[in-house]
This record gives sequence, C-alpha cells and structure tokens, in this order.
Amino acid sequence: MGVVTITPLLKTVAQTSPPPPDPSGHPPRKGEGARETHPEHQMTDPGQNQSTRKRRSATQWRGLLYIAPAMALVIVFFVVPVLFTGWMSLHNWPLMGTQRWIGFNNYIRMANDARFMSALRFTAYYTIIVTIAIFAIAFPLAIFVEKQRRFVGTYRTIIFLPVVIGLATASLLWVWLANVDSGFIGPALKALGLVERSPNLLASFDSAFLTIIIMVVWKIAGFTMIILLTGLQAIPVELTEAARIDGAGRWQRFRHLTLPLMRRTIALALIISVTGSILAFDQFYIMTSGGPQNRMISVVYYIFNQSFVSFNLGYGAALSIALLVILMLISIAQLRLLKIGEERP
Amino acid sequence: MSNKSMNDPLHPRPSRLASLAPQDEGEGARRSNTLEGEGQLRLSSPHGEVRNGAKRNEASNHEGAWLRFKRAKTLRKNFAYHGAGLAIALFFLAPLAVTLLASFRHGTEARQPAIPPWPTNGFSLDSYRSLDSFGAGVWQHTVNSLAVSLATVVLTVAVSLLAGYGFSRYRFPLKNVLFVLVIATLMIPFQSILTPLFIILAKLGLNNSLVGLTLVYVTLQLPFSVFMMRNAFDAVPKEIEEAARIDGARDLMLLVRVLLPLVLPGVATVAIFAFLNAWNEFLAALVLLSSNEKYTLPVLMMAVRAGRLGAINWGAVQAGVAVMTIPCLIVFLALQRYYMRGLMAGAVK
Amino acid sequence: MIKRLLATSAVATFCFMSGASAAETIEMWVRTGVGDSFKKVVEAYNASHENKVTATEVPFSELVQKYATAIAGGQAPDALSMDLIYTPAFAAAGQLEDLTDWAKQLPYFNSLSPSHVKLGTYQDRIYGLPLSVETSVFAWNKGLYKQAGLDPEKAPASWQEIEVNAEKIRKLGDDTYGFYFSGGACGGCMIFTFTPLVWGSGADILSADGKTATLDTPQMRKAVDAYRSMVKKDLVPPSAATDNGTNFLSFNNGKIGQQSLGAFAIGTLVTEYPDIDFGVTLIPGIDGGTSSFAGGDNFVITKGTKKLDAVKEFLEYVYSLEGQKVMAKYGSLPTRGDIAEEALKGLDPRMQVGLKAIAVARTPYTLQFNDLINSANGPWATFTNAAIYGDDVDGAFANAQGEMQAIIDSGQ
Repeated sequence: MGVVTITPLLKTVAQTSPPPPDPSGHPPRKGEGARETHPEHQMTDPGQNQSTRKRRSATQWRGLLYIAPAMALVIVFFVVPVLFTGWMSLHNWPLMGTQRWIGFNNYIRMANDARFMSALRFTAYYTIIVTIAIFAIAFPLAIFVEKQRRFVGTYRTIIFLPVVIGLATASLLWVWLANVDSGFIGPALKALGLVERSPNLLASFDSAFLTIIIMVVWKIAGFTMIILLTGLQAIPVELTEAARIDGAGRWQRFRHLTLPLMRRTIALALIISVTGSILAFDQFYIMTSGGPQNRMISVVYYIFNQSFVSFNLGYGAALSIALLVILMLISIAQLRLLKIGEERP
Repeated sequence: MSNKSMNDPLHPRPSRLASLAPQDEGEGARRSNTLEGEGQLRLSSPHGEVRNGAKRNEASNHEGAWLRFKRAKTLRKNFAYHGAGLAIALFFLAPLAVTLLASFRHGTEARQPAIPPWPTNGFSLDSYRSLDSFGAGVWQHTVNSLAVSLATVVLTVAVSLLAGYGFSRYRFPLKNVLFVLVIATLMIPFQSILTPLFIILAKLGLNNSLVGLTLVYVTLQLPFSVFMMRNAFDAVPKEIEEAARIDGARDLMLLVRVLLPLVLPGVATVAIFAFLNAWNEFLAALVLLSSNEKYTLPVLMMAVRAGRLGAINWGAVQAGVAVMTIPCLIVFLALQRYYMRGLMAGAVK
Repeated sequence: MIKRLLATSAVATFCFMSGASAAETIEMWVRTGVGDSFKKVVEAYNASHENKVTATEVPFSELVQKYATAIAGGQAPDALSMDLIYTPAFAAAGQLEDLTDWAKQLPYFNSLSPSHVKLGTYQDRIYGLPLSVETSVFAWNKGLYKQAGLDPEKAPASWQEIEVNAEKIRKLGDDTYGFYFSGGACGGCMIFTFTPLVWGSGADILSADGKTATLDTPQMRKAVDAYRSMVKKDLVPPSAATDNGTNFLSFNNGKIGQQSLGAFAIGTLVTEYPDIDFGVTLIPGIDGGTSSFAGGDNFVITKGTKKLDAVKEFLEYVYSLEGQKVMAKYGSLPTRGDIAEEALKGLDPRMQVGLKAIAVARTPYTLQFNDLINSANGPWATFTNAAIYGDDVDGAFANAQGEMQAIIDSGQ
C-alpha cells in the first residue's frame, strides 16, 4: 500500500506549494513572495508588453491542451469516484442488493458511533506519539549527518534505505522480526540473556504499539531527516559563527537561532508526518490485524472495515467524506502555518 | 544526461545543495581526505572548541602539548562520531540484512528463531522455491509488477511533463482551481474510493487488467509529479524558450528538444517516485485484479502472509520481502542523487 | 493518450476473445488455505472434459469482499467456492443463481451434506450446494503422549483430561506445549474449534432463529475458564495469543501435544508431515457430549452467468464417484453421504472420524456471519481473545454480548 501511506507523505511535499527555487539554495524568508525572487516572471506579466499579451491570449488555450491528459486522469479516476462516494454516503448502500436513499442518516449515525470515536481517538494518539518519536530520532540524525565529513554520505544513504521499501513490505518484515518463535527480536533478547523467554511482542497493546512505533520510525525517520537536513543546511554559517563569537552556547544557538530559522522546514516535516499518520492503515492491518482486542483500529482501518468487511458502503463513504473534511482542514491549517498561499504568476 | 544537466550554468546547483546531495562513497571519502576537508571539520566542530581552546591556552602556555591534546581530542571525537554512526547504521541496516540472510536458510530452519540469522546448515534457496509455489509463480508476478511499475513510470513522466509545462508556462481559465484539484488527489484516503474506482474501471472495460491498474497508479502519482514538474519548469529561464522560438522550435518540439534536457533531474525524481510507489502498492492491486496470472507481487505477498495449509511459511515471507525490496534498493542506490535532490528541492522551496 | 490506451487494451481484449475455442471456459474463484482438493478436482475435470475450468486462488481473508466488489462491478466469476457460512448473506442479496429445481432432481440430493444444504438455502430456495466438507475434530500427538507416559491410543474424553495431559506434555521440554489454538482474534478458527465445547453441552451462541445473541451461558463461562487455565499454566505457546489464523495448524511442527483441527488438516498432516503420528477423536463438550463444526465450502453460481450448463456439468463431475474420490484423496470429506464409504476407501482411517463428526456437527445460520463471527475486529473474534487472554472476563462477555445483539438488531 505504498501509495496510500508513503505517497501522501512524499506528496505532501508537493502540497505545500512552495515559491520557485532560489538559486542560492536558501529558503526564501518569510514575506518574500515568488515574484520578488524571480525576476523573469515579471517580464511576462500581462500588460507589460502589448505583443506578448496578444500572443498569450492566442496561446492560453494551448495550456489547457497540455494539462488535458492529467486532468482527464484526475477527473476519471479521482473526481468522479469522489463525487460517487459523496453520492453513496447519502444512501444505505450494501455491497450487494439494492441501495436506498437515506439523506444524512449516515452522518447522524457517525456522530453517535462509539467505535468511530475510538478510531479517531486512537488515530490522534498514534499520530502524536509517532510524530514525536520520528522527530526525536530524525532531528538528532539530521544534525549528525549535517556536516560534510568522512562517510557522512554513507550514513545518510543507510539511514534513508528503509524509506524506499514499501510500508506493506516493511510491516511484513517486522511482523516476522517480532514473531515470538521464528522471529528475531524476541529470540535475540533471549540469546542476550535480557529476558528469560522470548516475549510475544504483538500480544499486548503496549509492546505491540511500541513495536509498530519503532518500525515506523525505522521506515520514516530517514525521510524526515533529509527534510530537516535541508533546513539545517540552509542556515547561513555566518549567523551561527557570529552567535558563537557572541558567546552563545550550543543549546542557546539551537534554541534561539536554529529552531526559529527552521520554522518552515520543521512545519513541513511535521505536516508530512501528521498527514501520513492520520492515513495510517497498512501497519495495523498487516502487523496486528487491528488488535489486540481491536485497540489499534485507525480511522482508515475503520473505513476499510465498514466498506469491505461489513459492506456498509454508504456508511463507509460517509466516513470517507468526514475524513476528507478533516484532512482538508488540516491542509488549510498547514497552508496558513507555512504562509505559502501566495498567488503564482 | 545527468552530468551535463547538473553542470549546466542555466540550472545552477547551489554549493550548499551540492553538499546535500549524497555523494557516492568514493567522492565523499576523497573530499574529506583533502586539507580542505580537515579544515572544514575543525571549523565546524560543534563543541565550541575555540572557546575551550582559549581557556586552555590561558591555563597552559605549552603550545605543543596543547596541539597534541587537541589532536587526541579530535581523534576521540572522530571515534565517538563514527561509533555512533556505526550503531545508527546497524539499526537501519539490520532488519534488511537479517531478513536477506535468513532467506537463504534451509527450509527446515524457517521455523526456528533467526539466531543466528545467517544460514548455519549451508546456503539454500528453499525459501525462494516455496515462495515460487504460491500463486502463478514468483516470476510471473515479478513480471507483472515490473510491467505495471515501468508503465506507470512512463505514463507518469509523460503526463506530468505536459501538465507541468502547461501549469508553468500558460495562463488559462480556472488554472488555479485545476491545479488545486490535481493536488487534492492526495487528500482522500484512496481505500475509500476503491469501490467507485472498481465500477468505473469495469465500465471502461479495464477491470482485471494491468492497464487499468496502471492508470489508477498514474493518477495517484500525479499530484506529486505535476507539482514537481511545474517547479522544474519554473526554474528554467524563459529566455531560453524565447530564443528557441525565434529559431523556429514550436510546442512539443520545443518541449522535447529544448526544455526536456533542462528538467531531466525533475523527470528522474518523478520517475523514481512513480516506480517505488507502483511497485509497492497492494490494496488496489488486490481489489482491482482478479486472476492469478495478473496479480502483482504485493498481492502474492498477502497470500504468503495468509499462510497455507494452516501454517505461515516464514522462509517464504523472508524471500518475498527480499524480492520486494531488492529492486527498490537498486533503483534507489543507482539514482539516489536525483531522488534525494528531488526530495530536498521540494522541501527547500 | 487515454484514448490510445483504451484502444490498445480493446484490441488486446479482442485478441483474447477470438483466441478462445468453442468449448466453454468457466471462471471460478476459490479461497486459499482450504487444501488442494479443489485444485486437484479441477485438474482431473480439465483432463477429461472439453469444457475447462480456470480456478483463481484468492486469499481467504479477502475473498468475500473481492467477490462482492466484483459483483458490484458486474465482473464476477461464473462460480465460486464460497465458505458455506456466507451463502445466506449472498443469497439474501439476490446475487446467486437459484438452483432449487436442478438440485432437487439430482438422484443423490438427499444424501448431500445437510449442513451445507441448510446454509445454502434461503427462504426455501437453494442457492448453494456442498463442494467440500470439513468438520472439526480433536487431534493428539501420539509420539508426545508416549514420551509423556500417556497411553497414545486412548483419546481424551473430557477437558479435565485434556488439561492434565497437556501438563504432562509441557514437562517434556522448553518448546513442547500441551495444547494449541489460534487465539489472536481469529473468529473463524475459534468458531470452528471452540464453540463445539458449548454445543456439545447443549448451549449455543445464537438463538435458534438467529435473532438473539446467547453468548453468556454457564457452558461458555466454563469453556473460557478451561482455556484460560491452560494459558495461565503456560501449556499453550505464547504465539497463540497473536495467531490470527495464519498458523492455525501449528500441530504440524510436532511440538504440540493436542489441538482441535479440521478434516482438511488430517489430509495435510498425512501427506505433508508423515512423521507425525497422531490420533483424532470428536471434540468433547465442556460438560460432556461431543460436537463439531460443519465447515467447508458451498458451490455457488453467480446470478446471470451465461455458462450455467457448463457449470452444472462441472458440479455433476464433482459429485460423481470419481470426483468425490479425488476430493477425498486431497483432504475434503465426501459431500455425498451415500458414496462416502466408497470414496474414502483406501484412504487414511482417521478420515472416518471426520465423517462421523458430520452427524453431530452444527453450523450457525446467520446473514451476518462476517460481522458477527469472522471479522477479525468483530465481536466474536474480539471476545475470544479478550476473554481468554484479557484481564476482564466479565467485561469481555458483556461487550461481546451487547455488540453481537446490536449487529443482529441493525440487520433486522
């Protein structure tokens, strides 16, 4: 399910609609719009040049032609299915048999659905914990690999390796590692004499949750690290040098210089992590089947169950629409947070 | 292709970014061996040595002793650094390495704990053989996966190249709305639109077909890719186009002949992302395909995970993870400079 | 670009179509994990008939949703080997071909496995017919019994006896355990192996009309206690707590003293693990009596398929002595009672126990089997894990009872 969980992670990079690249490689500071940093765009501003304008109006429809294939795909395989989902959400729509219009009953049911609420709670809990865990690992890693020194490229590559394998594959791999009899972690702990007998890591909520968190950190930390690294390296060396000469300690420099300058990067990494976590599904489906005792049912898992296990497609559709709204609100919040809603030329 | 475009003066590679892009080992090692590397190392040592040094200097005026001390300290620091580095590398490598090694154990060992993880009774391909006995055989599924992934790459690149160009260079009605629409694709968990997707594919006669699956993958890939390509085109100065137009290049010709070489790094990034995501996806493949011989590898893996005859064959799981992982690793290691740069370019902006 | 692709794929489809010969090819789906019997009978049929069957294996956990999705998209296979418990739900939804008239004229109709026909019937019409039968039975490892000083030929008759035996076997070694069950919220495994404990003693988890959940009975409490006690005494491998069915047949590793398993497994054990010497008997009830779960697959035909006659021809072949023999050889019990003895002739005598179990076996009839029982996140699956492994048994009973009733009520 790489597409579901990883892609949104990667894709969210795109979502944040950045201004065009600055040739210096430094991120534009707050308030610097796209126009200021890119003189060549001004040249083509409409109204600046009569002949340009004429040609533009003649060719503007050609732009539509270029985006037509992409739009066709998006319309056929995204817009129509989503509209269809919205339509389904207003029905009692069993997978088999006849559907019945029930208006907003599915949405009313949702408000009173204790299992949906607990799925929301669990998803929020997971999102918070995993995000903290990822940052707690990725930030030190970014600092660790920031400076150009011997083998640093190798370290970066190794840390990044798990990012490129699929989340489903990673889950499968870890479900084996965590297996009590035929796995690796439990037997290794036993061989090292740390435990008396190999523990079944996936049997209790706490140890299963911890295993999943470690798996996700293993899988994702490299990704977050690279993003943070970008921010770290964009901080002008002169600034840190100046601070150092002024007698600022390491922690002070980090707290008052590094962190504020990395605000945008951190926000971006944060948002990627949050979005990916809210959509989490594979790891719970493959590693614990939502257990133990249904305590790891995320929102997407619940939607999946309602749609494809209980076959309440209508209700599943309503839940999807709800999740869509939640994600949209978060996206708007992130656009605000990043202050990157500027119009493009 | 890579070298030319990377050194292209029109497509400046900022010096700081250059240090970001993972160098291949040889290059990195060479650099840090130079004096400059040493200097950099000392200068940037994070422990505020300048200050410490000043204090020490006051305490003891013995220059030579101080230098020796400092060298020892650098050495110790280096030791600590690489010790930590090794531990980190171990954590990130071990799961993959353990699985790969364990997949070569004898079939009879698959049930035993992986201590030690390497084959103790000699090297064996039993696990791969039992993996092969699932579904229509691992080759068939690998071929399917490769076909879908490569087709996804080609289509994604073609479609996003055109769209990125259109969004970057033209103004047209509803441009922003359409752009947001493309980006919005990633806001809905696609599990929830699987049923409509299935019905639409059936209506198009593309159900249970790798073509249909590919089109779905391309769509899922578009937000990132279109965005990436638009940025890539934004970075190309318009003067180049103007000049080419004067020389008579038009439209697609202009795009392919003149602009494509300038956005190749972006194309490479888009292509790698498309490959990895298509290669690893399982739920859509499971729902949208319905015959053995068309299943992709991840679906095979689900069958392996489900076990057979009431027992899961961990050997087959390990072999499957290896088969799933190795192409990703190869693609990544071969093209990592683009991949990382694409990722970081996205983040910097 | 899309157009071109569409055109290409249309051409490709056309080529495939024109390549087919006049004989019919039946598309069938079969779930994975039910042994080789169906695959083998298809091979035998294809070798001797002009019509062909192509069987697609679908992971068992995804078969129902896949089939239902395919129906919604109008792309279902012609026929399906479907877990019999799902037949009522699919029949009720009007997705299956009515086979009543054809079935009743089969000369051997009355000797077809009664549980299957019952589950295949909805509102007095027949939509599903037995394809493979398996019953749950209790197995013990004779080798381990011997090592533990137990009489390897004496089948345990009560759960007290099973527990005592399990303790003795556990003493044999660190990795030898007395008992096994898939306790990681595997609703299907537990309905198959665990409910016979209460059925044998006269209780059930659903009322006869299927409209009331009757989970909380003294028998169920006692059954739960029996399992809890064995878990607490460390007689069950720790892996059981998270086994969601993928390792259902852990017995085959030779380190498990006793386990309830299915007739399919007998075939598997005999053919794949010949060094394990084991005995089988009926599953004892918790308060005496014996019971079993009649499982297996029903053969259903997608409504509106154009290959009805070919499908029927195939099914008749399966019901022939030849077909029954092939099925039996690869682990399925005969679906036809009248020729069962003959079909099992020359096969492992332990299969006879499975056959005997059919007489005492039950299968719950409900349209919501998936939601209630099979779903890994449904009330029954959750209950089995919570009650046996959790700290709050009363809470587990109360939650499951309430949730089951709520699901039943929402379906009315």
